[in-house]
Amino acid sequence: MRPRGVIVTLISATSPAAARRSAQGERAPIDWIGYVFIAFFALPFLLFNVAPVFFGTYVAFTEWRIIGTPEWIGLENFREAFDDEWVWLAFRNVVLYAVIIVPGVTILGLGFALFVNQGYPLSGLARTLFFAPNVVSATVIGLVWVWILDTQFGLLNNVLGSVGISPVPWLTSADWSLVGVSIASIWWDLGLAFVLLLAALQDIPRDLVEAAKVDGAGPFSRLWHVILPQLRPVLSMVITLQLISTLRIFSQVYVMTNGGPAGSSSSPIHYMYTVAIVRNLYGYASALAIMLFVVILLVTVVQRFLLKEAR
Amino acid sequence: MNSNDPVKLGPGTTVSRRQVLRTSAAAATVGLTTPYLGATRVFAANPVEIVHWSWLAASDGEVWAKMIDAFNEAHKDKGVTIRMELVPEEQYVTKVLAATATGRAPDFGWGTAGKGAQLAKDGVTVPLDDLAKEVGLAIDDFSASSITASRYPKYGNAMFMVPMDLMSLQPLINLDHVAEAGLDPNAPPQGGDDLIEWGKAMTRMDGDRVTRSGLLMTGSGVQPTVTWGIVAEQMGFRRASDDLKTAAVNPEAGINAMQWVLELFDTHKVSTRDVTDRYKEFGTGNGSIFWTGPWTLNGYVGQGLNFMAADFPKIGDQRRTYFEMGGLELYTQSDPGRHKATMEAVKWLSDNSFLWTTVGRGASPRQSILSRDDYKTAGHPWKVRGAFVDGMAYADILEIPVVAGPEFTIYSGGNFLARTLEGVWAGTKTPEAAMAELQERWQQALDED
Repeated sequence: MRPRGVIVTLISATSPAAARRSAQGERAPIDWIGYVFIAFFALPFLLFNVAPVFFGTYVAFTEWRIIGTPEWIGLENFREAFDDEWVWLAFRNVVLYAVIIVPGVTILGLGFALFVNQGYPLSGLARTLFFAPNVVSATVIGLVWVWILDTQFGLLNNVLGSVGISPVPWLTSADWSLVGVSIASIWWDLGLAFVLLLAALQDIPRDLVEAAKVDGAGPFSRLWHVILPQLRPVLSMVITLQLISTLRIFSQVYVMTNGGPAGSSSSPIHYMYTVAIVRNLYGYASALAIMLFVVILLVTVVQRFLLKEAR
Repeated sequence: MNSNDPVKLGPGTTVSRRQVLRTSAAAATVGLTTPYLGATRVFAANPVEIVHWSWLAASDGEVWAKMIDAFNEAHKDKGVTIRMELVPEEQYVTKVLAATATGRAPDFGWGTAGKGAQLAKDGVTVPLDDLAKEVGLAIDDFSASSITASRYPKYGNAMFMVPMDLMSLQPLINLDHVAEAGLDPNAPPQGGDDLIEWGKAMTRMDGDRVTRSGLLMTGSGVQPTVTWGIVAEQMGFRRASDDLKTAAVNPEAGINAMQWVLELFDTHKVSTRDVTDRYKEFGTGNGSIFWTGPWTLNGYVGQGLNFMAADFPKIGDQRRTYFEMGGLELYTQSDPGRHKATMEAVKWLSDNSFLWTTVGRGASPRQSILSRDDYKTAGHPWKVRGAFVDGMAYADILEIPVVAGPEFTIYSGGNFLARTLEGVWAGTKTPEAAMAELQERWQQALDED
């Protein structure tokens, strides 16, 4: 979308008066009102988004505790990060989160979208229900899932118990906590993927599917050879967005396990939060942020490249 | 219609569309920016509004709010009010630092003795000795230990907070479970062996699985860390030597204490790691003995839980428990003239802290309050708060008053100590390896201080 101020400037630049001035070789006066309109967005964006990025990059090379001047220490924070076992643990965890959550959200989102797209009775209600978790805050999601996943009194373990499965320590065991947080995250993130895929499904021309049906293609064959190829651009977007979102996972971790036990469910952002807010080491936290930024950038580029190749 | 087309505003008045746009944009700019142009903190000279930040969000927070209301009520004709703002405890220091750096610090707030060395060193908190004299705060009325705890020997030994309450960790015992197990509530456990026996008697199992902890613990976070800290100190371990030069004195005792905690889960089976919210578990009767601080009493009493508080058992060679002192600290202002008015308010809150230390939390640091005839009968029943008052006699596991103090504290779920020990509780690290890490990191912190 073009910024409104630019449109105003363009309108005035192409007005008869402007055209006349241009023909006479005069320089069109700057229409400052366009910049005023842009400023309402641009100034806060520069101030609260762009400036902190530059400042954070600078702070990453310093030791700083808010009070006083940052002390330049070069690459020391990065060196420390590479020696910090908790950083490696956090990055290992986030890879595992991505391995569980991204396919989980994509496959379930696609399944729900295919279901709703059939237009069964109450599919409107199903659409609302599938999307609903996405509009609930992460804190609420976290608290609800802490209750559902409680080892002794949780809903899920009660259901599993009724079919003879022993209680699973979803959030209190180092072996399971990451899975517990992932389940809640999939439930939370599903809505957006579902809506995007449903919209894409509804855009597929009916005659394509009908033609495949006439040619004798079964439901699986239609899905594999007709529907999925049509969905590829949206699937690519869903996977990319979900991957980025998962690499930045924080709220669920903070509310449900606080990264424990023994860091088994921590994530880079959660560790960064601990370093910055609990320990007040802003330089070190900024260095971690830059490392995460580089990882997200690389993963996204590689993933986009792979999907493009597959196309 | 182009931007120069006239717009009719009223009879005989026309302006061009461009003029309307310009005027609107200018008005909007002024309207949106005006609130921020003069946004340096506004303190009306008269009446005076004192800004107070608090993190008290447990049941003690309700009592503190009553204290602030009482101050405002008592001063409504004197033009002084306190405006209290709640700030999450975990983010408290960060927000105070940021507010001070931008010249917008609150006037006063809550602090924990021994944890504010960095703030004192950076000049964020204000030394209070002279201000206390100026407003007539009766320093002699405070216990000597509370005044000592409010100072930082490494930073001029000035007093940086006005002590408000003395707290310790003591076991709360569910009396319904005691009756059910046929135990005598008048003879609560005094030593480590008694404690395990009581724990076993009240633990409920489903096969090999603990479904109700006799000794309520969690598998990670604060509870196992603070338990280790208390037991280790009882066994002779010291996080730092008295001269603050040597870290992890007597590491063998620290390792034995880790083993003691592990045995609660794995050998004695009186605790389960599968507890997500320890406060809720005890409150709903899913734990029998739970050591915690006096900040929980108001909530448990309010919900009608049948419980009592007892002395922390002597598990090691000495009976000791965790000590925490809450106090009010003043933050540096761009206008130092505000400090005196703030100190007067803090003096009032301290002088009138009877409610706070009978219903809110902890024992009073002031002799004049402790010696009142109604101190034991007012507020919550003595059976639930008596141990928190009498227990102050052996509550001497203090914070380490250095800049890196928060890395040493045993009451934490996320500091270096807690994270290091989590590996032990989860079985991914040996006690010896954890102790070696603690020793190295803490020594480095002391050396750098």
